[in-house]
Amino acid sequence: MTQAAVTAAPDIDIFSAANVRRWLLWLLIYVVLGIAIVVLIFPVFWMVSSSLKPSTEMFARNMTMLPKVLSWQNYIAVWTQTPFPTYFFNSFKVAAISTILALIVSMYAAYAMARIDFPGRGLFGVALLVTQMFPGILFVIPLFLIIKELHLFDTHYALIIAYVAYSLPFSIWMMRGFFAAIPMELEDAAAVDGATPLGTLHRVILPLSGPGIAAVTMYNFIRSWNEFLFALVFLQSTDLFTLPLGLASFQEEYSFRWDLLMAGASSVSLPILVVFMFMNRFIVQGLLGGAVKG
Amino acid sequence: MAVSRRNRFAYMLVLPSVILVACLNLVPLVQGVVTSLQAQNMTRPDPNAFVGIQHYIDALFYQVDFWSSLGKTFIWTIGSVAGAYVLSLALASLLNLDIKFRNFFRAVFLIPWVVPDVVTALIWKWLYNDDYGVINFVLRGMHIRGIHWLSDTHLAMLSVIIAQVWKLYPLMTVVLLAALQNVPKELHEAASLDGASAWQRFLYVTLPMIRTASISITLLTGIWTFQNFDLVYLLTGGGPADATEILPTFIYQKAFFTLDLGYASALGILMLLIILACSSLYLLVSRPNSQPA
Repeated sequence: MTQAAVTAAPDIDIFSAANVRRWLLWLLIYVVLGIAIVVLIFPVFWMVSSSLKPSTEMFARNMTMLPKVLSWQNYIAVWTQTPFPTYFFNSFKVAAISTILALIVSMYAAYAMARIDFPGRGLFGVALLVTQMFPGILFVIPLFLIIKELHLFDTHYALIIAYVAYSLPFSIWMMRGFFAAIPMELEDAAAVDGATPLGTLHRVILPLSGPGIAAVTMYNFIRSWNEFLFALVFLQSTDLFTLPLGLASFQEEYSFRWDLLMAGASSVSLPILVVFMFMNRFIVQGLLGGAVKG
Repeated sequence: MAVSRRNRFAYMLVLPSVILVACLNLVPLVQGVVTSLQAQNMTRPDPNAFVGIQHYIDALFYQVDFWSSLGKTFIWTIGSVAGAYVLSLALASLLNLDIKFRNFFRAVFLIPWVVPDVVTALIWKWLYNDDYGVINFVLRGMHIRGIHWLSDTHLAMLSVIIAQVWKLYPLMTVVLLAALQNVPKELHEAASLDGASAWQRFLYVTLPMIRTASISITLLTGIWTFQNFDLVYLLTGGGPADATEILPTFIYQKAFFTLDLGYASALGILMLLIILACSSLYLLVSRPNSQPA
């Protein structure tokens, strides 16, 4: 054991061959990581950088990495001369309503799944997993026919229903795990104090699963905010468009105005990126069920 | 026998979810199967006429475009997942070293994961732009000219795969890093004592230990990629000359442009069956035989 390289005795000469080699190795590791970051994050950087360039600079022969002069004119144009604010509002509305509804519906189901061994529990659990394999493109055709039948075509209701049902299986699975991790004794104590099962859920279980619930909620919100295919098929009127759909329609309308398109793309991504930067630890740990160490 | 009170309570709690999940999954599935057996061509009279398995026979035996589209879907899926896996494993291995600011690095590497698909498509379209794209600008500096990333039939598939790898690697990296962190340090120490090189330790200690995580995450991202519509639709629309016409864009095209809803539904059902078959086969083939994990 003492011969192992990892346990080499503290060396006084920090410039010994072994130490220099180790320093070089670490330097190499950080350089590789740095290059990886630069390459992999470059597309996002380029979007933001392009969005802040005036079009003369954007289409200039000599490309500049950073805008010479910060120009907000693309953002002003996108936000005042296009229906962008409407899209933004629509997206927020649909994502917020469907996320809250999904949270309420899945919370109760998850509690039953975690605590009560009712007949059919296993079957429902498997059914939830199987739905995750279903291709969206397969469902969009029959759903389109059903939605037309129900006169919900070209309404936000269609999207909200779709997003709620879309978020449910994942939310139930995740929250079931969080609830099951809470010690049964707490519930028994509440029951002794005369709390009803629902009261226990509301006052004991939910407050204790706060971080997990927040992670699931954020995840669902981001998914609904980003969703494209259902919106593409279910909506027709431009004033109902959500951001992804609006942005895609911009691409056809302003196909050569990359300055405006990049400002639009940044505006769509920024709220999500800001929330994500604040909550990333939270989301990652919540979704991996605490499997990630710091 | 009467349902016990506790079970009735459970059913009350689960019922809304069951109804919603059934409405959005079971009902459309049944409706999809029914549609696939009907003529359902919006441009012809009597859309509800029953045609039996005619659409399936057409797809499997008469129309070559189903098979060619299926082939492209496999190239797209395997290329994207394999590319993302190699990249993620490299990143996760680096992050698993005793580096400083690991959380910072992990957070930054995760960014592409939250970028909406539509934005991903726009960004890459701009990067790939023939005249003003930054990739061609850099290549011009190296005297390489005239590369049409998205409109060259030989390059388009590679270009969309690169964009999808960029989209997939973040989640894979996080999952693989979590798996790597659960590999006991003692195993590595024991292996180095036995004279294993770093590469041998990676092959015979690390890889078997992260086997389960690798299988789950490649299967999951594989299923997602197989049915991903947004990126290809927005980047190339299946073109040029069908070079990137994967099943999802092909089905969309059949359903909402040629209005062949019956035929498109049959293709959708076939796609679901292929996903189920491939997933089962993948799990069967990669079942752990002797390695614990």
